[in-house]
Amino acid sequence: MRPDQDRLDRLSLTWRDPPGLWGFLTTVDHKRIAARYIVTALLLMFLAGMLALDMRWQLSTPENVRMGPQLYNESFSLHGSTMLFLVSVPVMEAMALWLVPLMLGQRNMAFPRLGAFSYWLYLGGVLTLWISHALDITPDLGWFEYPPLSGPAYAPGHRADIWAQMITFTEVAALAASVNVAATILKMRPPGMTLARMPVFLWAMLVASIMTILSMPAIMLVTSMLIADRLVSTHFFSPASGGDVLLFQHLFWFFGHPEVYIIFVPATGFVSAIVETFSRRPLFGHSVIVLAILSIGALAFGLWVHHMFAVGLPRLGNNFYTAASMAIALPAGLQIFCWIATMWSGRPWLATPMLWVIGFVTTFVIGGLSGVMTASAALDLQLTDSYFIVAHFHYVLVGGAMFPLFGAFCYWYPKATGRMMSERWGRIAFALIVGGFNLGFFPMHLLGLMGMPRRVYTYPAGMGWEGLNQVATLGSVVAVAGGLVFVANALVSYWRGAPSGGDPWGGSTLEWAGEAPAPSWNLAYTPMVDGLTPMWNGGRPLRVADGVAIARREVLITSVTDADPLYRQKSASPSIWPLLSALAVSAMFIASIFTPWAIVVGAVPIGAALTGWFWPQRPRRSGA
Amino acid sequence: MARSGLGSPDQAVEGHVAQWRPGRVMVLACLISACGKEARDIGPTVAQTAPVGKKDPRIALFQGNVWQIAQGGRYFQYYGCAGCHHDGAPGTRDLADGLRRGADFPAVFASIAHGHGDRSYATRIPDEQLWQLTAYVRDLERHTPQKRRRQMLDQRSEPQAATWRGPQ
Repeated sequence: MRPDQDRLDRLSLTWRDPPGLWGFLTTVDHKRIAARYIVTALLLMFLAGMLALDMRWQLSTPENVRMGPQLYNESFSLHGSTMLFLVSVPVMEAMALWLVPLMLGQRNMAFPRLGAFSYWLYLGGVLTLWISHALDITPDLGWFEYPPLSGPAYAPGHRADIWAQMITFTEVAALAASVNVAATILKMRPPGMTLARMPVFLWAMLVASIMTILSMPAIMLVTSMLIADRLVSTHFFSPASGGDVLLFQHLFWFFGHPEVYIIFVPATGFVSAIVETFSRRPLFGHSVIVLAILSIGALAFGLWVHHMFAVGLPRLGNNFYTAASMAIALPAGLQIFCWIATMWSGRPWLATPMLWVIGFVTTFVIGGLSGVMTASAALDLQLTDSYFIVAHFHYVLVGGAMFPLFGAFCYWYPKATGRMMSERWGRIAFALIVGGFNLGFFPMHLLGLMGMPRRVYTYPAGMGWEGLNQVATLGSVVAVAGGLVFVANALVSYWRGAPSGGDPWGGSTLEWAGEAPAPSWNLAYTPMVDGLTPMWNGGRPLRVADGVAIARREVLITSVTDADPLYRQKSASPSIWPLLSALAVSAMFIASIFTPWAIVVGAVPIGAALTGWFWPQRPRRSGA
Repeated sequence: MARSGLGSPDQAVEGHVAQWRPGRVMVLACLISACGKEARDIGPTVAQTAPVGKKDPRIALFQGNVWQIAQGGRYFQYYGCAGCHHDGAPGTRDLADGLRRGADFPAVFASIAHGHGDRSYATRIPDEQLWQLTAYVRDLERHTPQKRRRQMLDQRSEPQAATWRGPQ
């Protein structure tokens, strides 16, 4: 069914944002919000990458004086906190915000204003950390700030508070985004897309969202306890008076380990989508991959203790968590084999997104193998806090999540902009980043085995570490140069790229059904799904249904398992209240670093803003 | 914001103003956050001698810096000051009142260094630590008893006056 122009005009009128700045501040368009999220995260990735380059400069020669110990501590703390809390997790959520409604053929997320609130609050966390940095109040205790080092006695001032409160910001933002994604996937699938016909990407985002909902409260709790210890002298982490510093580590890693998978599981969704499209065949072992993702989601909550082998645990604890850590290699391995089988049995097309997937598979497998090594408690005791660990987690996080993200960026870029990125510069960026990354981080395995500890600002000459450190620095320079090529390619293609059309790759899932760049209302009709690859149905046009209003904002709600249409739901219109609410929450969070009364006083503007947000807009019907 | 590094911190403070003159917003933000309050410069100390008068420029570097004050708090435990100067101790020994209130930096410094008779802290405690102790004592008004107790408990496993068994 081809939509006529009148219908498109009416949809555009219904779903448009107010013009200008007001529209910018009030929009609830999931694509605009997600694009902001992604651009902010990429900007931060650049800044934190510059910090990394600076640190590599410092370590390139022994007893270098580019940095002193304090500046080095601040640099790696800011680098780690930014990359983990402000880049990796938010950018994955942003991809979900952008893609989930498109892939469901829906007009918006389940809670459009919650998406806007999530972004503004995330921005509050970003500004908290980086404005503090500009004011020389940079957190300096690493990306996990263990007490008692971060407690009131050893971390005077507000550096640790800034870190803890930045986490509160990003975690509230992440919870808002995750609830939104999970509700959208469970209740807004198009008719026919039963759970069994759900693309792997949506499964990955659903599992990651549920993991976020289950794990984030732990870290919000623990950083709030830390702030309470520091601000009002509670004794949660004071062993001398019955507190327990290990409680911090347990609660932190009860979030911190699932977080790794909250970053990695969406990446498996990207990889599955890219592998399917570029192998020109339906994914091999769809059910296996979905079950693997589900089991990773479950297992991820049972192995946080492997971050704590060195703190001294009962023998049985070490054994259990070693076994659990090794067990997670099974589902991860199954996924890898399924992707390889898909490529093997398909007709692979080595466009840049596919290249990134191949870069991911090779790099991530190395990271996975060093992960199996460090999973062993006995070996971990030797390797922990050495450069081996630095190498390992960069291999899994950069190789396992960032490479798929870059591939996903290239893959969905035409959908977002209507233009293709340059393939040639894409290949150059790929070669520089993957080559530079491996050149930079592989030597760190060896440095770690040679005894170089992590988090040292310099090392004496004659340790035998000079050569490998210089190679590592060289690799980082190459990778950063590749990153600049990648960004330049994206920027130039935005204006100069070849027009892509709606479906340049011949993709298999519903986001390719519409125009590019995707209009504010996404698809003109509600699609009907009868298989795993709705866009590959033997050349038949996509079946669609009408019935969802076009004169007012409306979305279709369906049942959880069978996606049977249930009812039509009003979809929220643009509003300034999410921004005002986020401002009120930000003011309360910032002030509560300085005085506990901020929580009491700050609750008033928050309450006022939320009241405005939820003010009823429809008259009550009698009997309803 | 520029870091002072190994250079003289007071030069760095002058440097801020010169450097940020175009960016008034940053100067303002800097003033609000009390420039250098959180700085933690690990290098040669400026405190090699006792303070010279109330206007000694080094005073601000200690009194206005949370890390120096916190170090003073540690040494307060290390040297056993709390043995006599605790809450409710008689007269000027009382931590909650005592001579620190309103007293200027050189006066408090002198009373720590020279006001303890035979203990003669001026010869037994390095100058930098005396500066930090002075800054801590003058800052005590802002430390609630709960906060002092909380910090003391965290530091209890360190070698302090009562538990110190000599150099290891």
